[in-house]
Amino acid sequence: MNKRIVYTQDDGSVAIVVPAVSVELALKDVPTGAEYHIVEDSEIPTDRTFRDAWIWE
Amino acid sequence: MADIVLTGNTSGAITVAAPAVAGTNTITLPAETGTIVTSATAAADVPKPTALSTASGSAPSYSARAWVNFNGSGAVGIRASGNVSSITDNATGKFQVNFTTAMPDADYAVQCTAPSFSDTNDAVCAKVRGSSTGTGIPNVQTVSAVQVVYGNNQSPATFYDPAYYYVSIFR
Repeated sequence: MNKRIVYTQDDGSVAIVVPAVSVELALKDVPTGAEYHIVEDSEIPTDRTFRDAWIWE
Repeated sequence: MADIVLTGNTSGAITVAAPAVAGTNTITLPAETGTIVTSATAAADVPKPTALSTASGSAPSYSARAWVNFNGSGAVGIRASGNVSSITDNATGKFQVNFTTAMPDADYAVQCTAPSFSDTNDAVCAKVRGSSTGTGIPNVQTVSAVQVVYGNNQSPATFYDPAYYYVSIFR
């Protein structure tokens, strides 16, 4: 599974949904009304030192 | 291959067909009276096992309703899971497990473990239930998802990303 779903949480930080089976199934796990983006997992940083400061641009 | 056909009084028939292989197969009916299975829609009539086949003693068995093993550091990813549609990476040390099929209610038990590492000896993996106001600790436990954290008990708590998260749900 090489896709991720990214959306902005209420506090402005970024949440990343990691599908277990498929992106289509995982879309139900995005909060209703949230704007989301489907990206390749390679686009997600692996250095999490400043994870809580991540924002979507 | 020989078939046995039982024709109904009005319409329809039941056919017992022998397999096209060598050897002898036997259908043995139970000594008890009653109906075995009437139709595909009568699954509720089939007796439900009260214990797993590996259980000893008479206490009932309860298997996990959902479980997941995932990587919480570096490239976050799911290694293996059951009845989990996804995990949500909310922040450092804060993850949400989302169920494929919902739980019957939100009163299930959550088990969360993670290996500790040298600089976080006081940190634990836990499901914190209570007010999340001002603590930054997630408080989601619904029929469709549960949030878990890995952190210490300081105020404010410090959260960490362990390489392994193990979460299981019992109900």
